[in-house]
Amino acid sequence: MEYLSVVFTLPALLTILIGTFAGVVVGGMPGLTATMAVGLLVPFTYTMDPTLGLMLLGGIYCGAMYGGSIPAILLNTPGTPAAVATAIEGYPMSRRGEGGLALKTSVVASFTGGTFSVFILLLFAPLLARQALNFGPAETFLLAIMGLAGIISIADENTSLIKALLSGILGMIIAVVGTDDMSGSLRYTAGLVELIDGVDFMPALIGLFSMIQMLELAGQRDHAPIDTSALGGARKRAKLPKGIGKFMALGSGTGTVIGILPGEGATIAAFISYNFAKQVSKAKAMFGKGNPEGVAAAEAGNNGCVGGSLVPTITLGIPGNSVAAALMGAFIIHGMIPGPELFTIYADRTYPFILSMFVANVTFLIIGLAFAPYLARIALIPPSVMVPVVCAFAVLGSYALNQSVFDIYLMIAFAVFGLLLKKLGFSLEGLILGLILGPIAEGGFSQGMIIGKGSPTIFFQSEIAKVMWLIILVLLLPPLVSHIRRLRGTKAR
Amino acid sequence: MSRATVDRLVLAGFILLSVLLYLSTDSYPGIAQKTSAKYVRFLAVCLGGLSLVQLGISLLRDGREDRLSLTEHLPRFLGLIAALVAFGLSFKKLGFFIPAAVFIPLVAIMLGQRNPVLITLTTIGLLAFVYLIFIALLGVTLPGPRF
Repeated sequence: MEYLSVVFTLPALLTILIGTFAGVVVGGMPGLTATMAVGLLVPFTYTMDPTLGLMLLGGIYCGAMYGGSIPAILLNTPGTPAAVATAIEGYPMSRRGEGGLALKTSVVASFTGGTFSVFILLLFAPLLARQALNFGPAETFLLAIMGLAGIISIADENTSLIKALLSGILGMIIAVVGTDDMSGSLRYTAGLVELIDGVDFMPALIGLFSMIQMLELAGQRDHAPIDTSALGGARKRAKLPKGIGKFMALGSGTGTVIGILPGEGATIAAFISYNFAKQVSKAKAMFGKGNPEGVAAAEAGNNGCVGGSLVPTITLGIPGNSVAAALMGAFIIHGMIPGPELFTIYADRTYPFILSMFVANVTFLIIGLAFAPYLARIALIPPSVMVPVVCAFAVLGSYALNQSVFDIYLMIAFAVFGLLLKKLGFSLEGLILGLILGPIAEGGFSQGMIIGKGSPTIFFQSEIAKVMWLIILVLLLPPLVSHIRRLRGTKAR
Repeated sequence: MSRATVDRLVLAGFILLSVLLYLSTDSYPGIAQKTSAKYVRFLAVCLGGLSLVQLGISLLRDGREDRLSLTEHLPRFLGLIAALVAFGLSFKKLGFFIPAAVFIPLVAIMLGQRNPVLITLTTIGLLAFVYLIFIALLGVTLPGPRF
């Protein structure tokens, strides 16, 4: 009750409202993502009250996950990659005049998925965090390795398995720059005072997830015109079809579980939920032609990812996906190190943050039901206007945290280098995860080596360590097997 | 340059980096030899090993020699980077608002926007938004001009 009262104050409600609305708007703009929005705004929360700052970012996360579906349904232009599956069913519905029904299905499903996942977060995060109390340095090191093993599962047709791992290791190597905690000596700083504390991951995050998108948009020769013919039917009121709740529940569960797995994002959650729905649906033939069941499952899936991704993030310090990584940055800059302390020392901030996401879900439900057809026009904002605005925020965000112009150059350097890596098939998510997990891994490794008197057997001794190795193997083996099969297949052809 | 060539150059760069990283750990002082140095060596071996495997796969694969293009419109791409650097340079002296008031219209025009009303409204709108939301409402401290 005490924590609820923190949420239901005017400043908190206003912050959640602003955050959620901003999230819906950002999510509705093709080219802008939740990671970009959260990453851009983390530095601004530095001077805010920590609880309000986290509420703002939580609202953006929830809102952006939903917002992407609006232009996906009405304009066949997914606002975020996670809304691609929604567009497959939503746009054909709009074309036949059922845009209103698709929008309603989407917002109710997003609300269901989001609320369910936050409930799971509230229920399981404190339990999992308590387990983290038993972790010693060896287990902490293995935890970081587990997070990196999760990177391997983000490998897809654009990112090879080895390159995904290489990206993670490269991130960990960049994290080595700065003062060595063990000896106090400086490493790889090239005499730059700004690097004494290491490479801050906020400029890297903004560079890799915001600026790259802007550089890509700026460098496009032509922008394909968007078909606005389906906008008209979006204002018609419609009742949700019977039996749609089953698909929302399916998407909510799937999205939450996938969100909990490190490295798995909302896009994967939406597609897997969509495919599950396709398998269990009685109207399989309607899929691809505008089936509301597909919209319901995909949207519940991507919003289900929100709470799920925060479970490993705030309990173990392993970000569930890139947005969670950005949010973890917000916790860290407020001195709240993920783990059991968040539910003891900082419980007065953590619980209101989690509870605020219930309010954020209600907020976007209201926004969606009332304004969704009008918000679709956000997608029509030309890149020539959007790019300079986002760039201005990116520069400000990079500078604001440390009041350092060097961080602006760092952000630009990460953007250009990251763009090259992206074009070559490396994983930017892997790079940022490596950068975040690097210091955790190094701390655990170094302390473990001291306790183990220089012997690496310390990392295999405890029961927890053995279970963690098993999980790492489980995470690594299936993608490795499928990768080898794919390589053999390519060779045979 | 072809994508495969750039890819191989980057991987070769990673192998070189891993060797240099490994060798650099010899200079780690005292206790760091038993802790941090081992960690960095572990990373160096992983980076070098994986890069070598990937390079091997790349060399064995009879890939298409498609050109690697970072951007379709180089002048705009480079123009945006130059504008960002200039924005950063002017930050310390002029704060956020003055450079942003120049940067936004400049980049919008560079990217092909020719509607002066839209450009003006966007610039004023963003500056007003930043002031009202971040400074007035959320109490965020933003850098100001230092004359």
